[in-house]
Amino acid sequence: MLSRVAENLYWMARYLERAENTARLINTTGQVLLDLPRGASFGWDILLKVVGLDKLFDEHYTVANESNIMRFLIQDERNPSSVVSSIRSARENSRTLREILPKEFWEILNGLYLFIRQQAPAAAQSQGQRYRVLNHVVERGQSLTGLLMGCMSHDLAYQFIELGRNVERADMTTRIVDINSAVLLPHDGGALEPVQERLWMSVLKALSAYQMYRRHVDVHVRGTAVLSYLLLDPHFPRTVRYCLGKIEECLSTLPDNGDAMKSARRAWRRLAGLRWEGLTPAVLHEYLDQCQTDLGAIHTAVSAQYFYREQPKTQPPEQAAA
Amino acid sequence: MARLMLLPENSSRTALMKIALADYRKNEAYDELLDAEYRPRLAAKALFEYLDSLPPGELEARRQSVDAAIMTMGITFTVYSEAGNIDRAWPFDIIPRVMAMSEWVRIEEGLKQRLTALNLFINDLYNEQKIVKDGVFPAEVLAGSRNFREQCRGITPRYGVWAHICGTDLVRDKDGTVYVLEDNLRVPSGVSYMLENRQIMKRLFPEVFQAGTILPVDDYPTQLYDTLAALSPREGDRPVVAVLTPGIYNSAYFEHSYLAQQMGAVLVEGSDLFVDPDEHVYMRTISGSRRVDVIYRRIDDEFLDPEVFRPDSALGVPGIMRAWRAGKVGIANAPGSGVADDKVVYTFVPKIIKYYLDQDPIIPNVPSYLCMHEKERDYVLANLTKLVIKPANESGGYGMLIGPRASPEEVAKFDELIRAHPRNYMAQPTLSISTAPTLTGEELAPRHLDLRPFILQSNRLYATTGGLTRVALKAGSLVVNSSQGGGSKDTWIVDTEA
Repeated sequence: MLSRVAENLYWMARYLERAENTARLINTTGQVLLDLPRGASFGWDILLKVVGLDKLFDEHYTVANESNIMRFLIQDERNPSSVVSSIRSARENSRTLREILPKEFWEILNGLYLFIRQQAPAAAQSQGQRYRVLNHVVERGQSLTGLLMGCMSHDLAYQFIELGRNVERADMTTRIVDINSAVLLPHDGGALEPVQERLWMSVLKALSAYQMYRRHVDVHVRGTAVLSYLLLDPHFPRTVRYCLGKIEECLSTLPDNGDAMKSARRAWRRLAGLRWEGLTPAVLHEYLDQCQTDLGAIHTAVSAQYFYREQPKTQPPEQAAA
Repeated sequence: MARLMLLPENSSRTALMKIALADYRKNEAYDELLDAEYRPRLAAKALFEYLDSLPPGELEARRQSVDAAIMTMGITFTVYSEAGNIDRAWPFDIIPRVMAMSEWVRIEEGLKQRLTALNLFINDLYNEQKIVKDGVFPAEVLAGSRNFREQCRGITPRYGVWAHICGTDLVRDKDGTVYVLEDNLRVPSGVSYMLENRQIMKRLFPEVFQAGTILPVDDYPTQLYDTLAALSPREGDRPVVAVLTPGIYNSAYFEHSYLAQQMGAVLVEGSDLFVDPDEHVYMRTISGSRRVDVIYRRIDDEFLDPEVFRPDSALGVPGIMRAWRAGKVGIANAPGSGVADDKVVYTFVPKIIKYYLDQDPIIPNVPSYLCMHEKERDYVLANLTKLVIKPANESGGYGMLIGPRASPEEVAKFDELIRAHPRNYMAQPTLSISTAPTLTGEELAPRHLDLRPFILQSNRLYATTGGLTRVALKAGSLVVNSSQGGGSKDTWIVDTEA
């Protein structure tokens, strides 16, 4: 497979996953807001920190209020991670992949792009439209993933898609967990306050994990239990542990995977080393930061090994097995 | 008999009429689907019977779903002049252009004859130049050719074939004669639209295709693959064929990607390829380098190899010409093929066919005047407002003068241009090119069209069944290029004896 193609596949999957996760996050937060009791406030800037875009936001906006942040996260093309930008980037990447991806994939993605381009302003401005529009993004994201699973050869091209999706997904999970724990942990451990419970519920719901959590862990939503579930559960497909497993599986099918595998194992060790005793919010934040750095290292190793590099002109190229 | 109602002038149509024809009384051109009495021609009979069977409003409903399908299928093209290279949906008319197989068979023979002769001509120009020595083709025309590549002298590619893929534009004049308007031998485009148009029509009108009298068009990708694979320098194994594209901002990117997909070939950009010191071409893959055997390039000669042509080209592959000359890679179309894709060379094609094949051309050329000849130039200059003036080396309908429709300023500009560079211009009478009924609202109105079949040659000869019909969507317009507001129709070659 061409290096350029591998890179485009990987990024296409990351952007698609990013669009879906951002849509999930905004929608769930919006739902939770409706349930907040009188007097309780929700920091909209939290959403920005989750996606790591607080600095970029400050460059373009002065007030971090709901309407600005919604516009920034959904519609604003100056934000490369906004829902519109992510879908556009996924589409641009897949334009160069039409001979590799199933034909229907392009049709659905192109349809999604046309949809979001038209509907984003409404979604950014009106709470009523927001849920409908973003939910459509999530649904389409799911059908695209399903289409690839069911209608594309699980060949090398597919492995790069899986790789991109899981790196992005694991990263987003650590971010969502990170920000909410920072807000909530100081008060955790005492009596379960309904508000806290709802916010942890929003974390689970953002990842579509609420139902599975209740089935497999507890009917009560407690901070540490949610943390442990979203980081370490081996069966739910959006947990960090599950994603790392997938990443390793993908890497094992690729040629010359030494460095990338090494970085994946480092991330594994970090995850296995998490200690619950004395886990203060600050320690947890530090720990999740390191997890994100580990994922970044996997990304760097994958790019260095497989993506396009200028070939040194003096060096004879290696012969490949045809 | 289908119920076709000719709209009386100045009267609105009544609800009883199923398909109404607008503007036909004013139409002086030959119509592809209707005879002089506005009755369907034999090959179009079944089509009109079918259209007639549709309930009112159905045609418009189908047209709308076609538009939606085109948008989601992402069949787009890019217009150069539009800011940001925005994709535009491919304008498509759902009324097909129909031709009887009996007529097509002869045209197909003519197209194959023409390409065979053109390839003999190109190979001769780059080698012995017998045709020049024999005084059939003037040395000064060759000397003035912008697309003659000195770098290709002395080379004979496999089978002596240079132009492996040719798109020849055909038009029909008032009296029904089909003429060759031009041959596109560099990087002709449009075939993917031909294939997609048929896909759309089969989705939207499955009923009409059930009779089995409309010949299929979908073997083109296989034929193209076989044509290209035959150029591989390595025997045996399935050769590695790559489609070389300038990238997603090229107006025909959709087609490059589409053809790669249909052939199971690799779609590459210049930066994906490199040439090693042994003059093999490789592509960069995730598991190192992999040799490429055949390149179907969709970038112009000038950008192909910065070592040989434009040094500033970032689209090409340094060293690819060395690899080609050494016979280590097949390139289609071969660099330099464009020498025969020249409006002045065009006027010599009948002589070229006679010279190499000792045959008369099956499809005639449009009568042409060469401005390089003094007598013909005087005629052209005296009749600028009656003629179509074409520059020798432009494609896509750019830089043309359509005399009868030009402003006095444009005419004056061309007068000057022709006097300054006579070799660069040729002129043709304004043909009354044929029309076909085209859906405008609820009515069918005549719109001018042409036909671009695609012809392949390597160790085999093949022509598409029909081709791409391009239609000028504006009333009265003669410009069919997609870059200038044209659209397309599906082209049906119908077996009327079946």
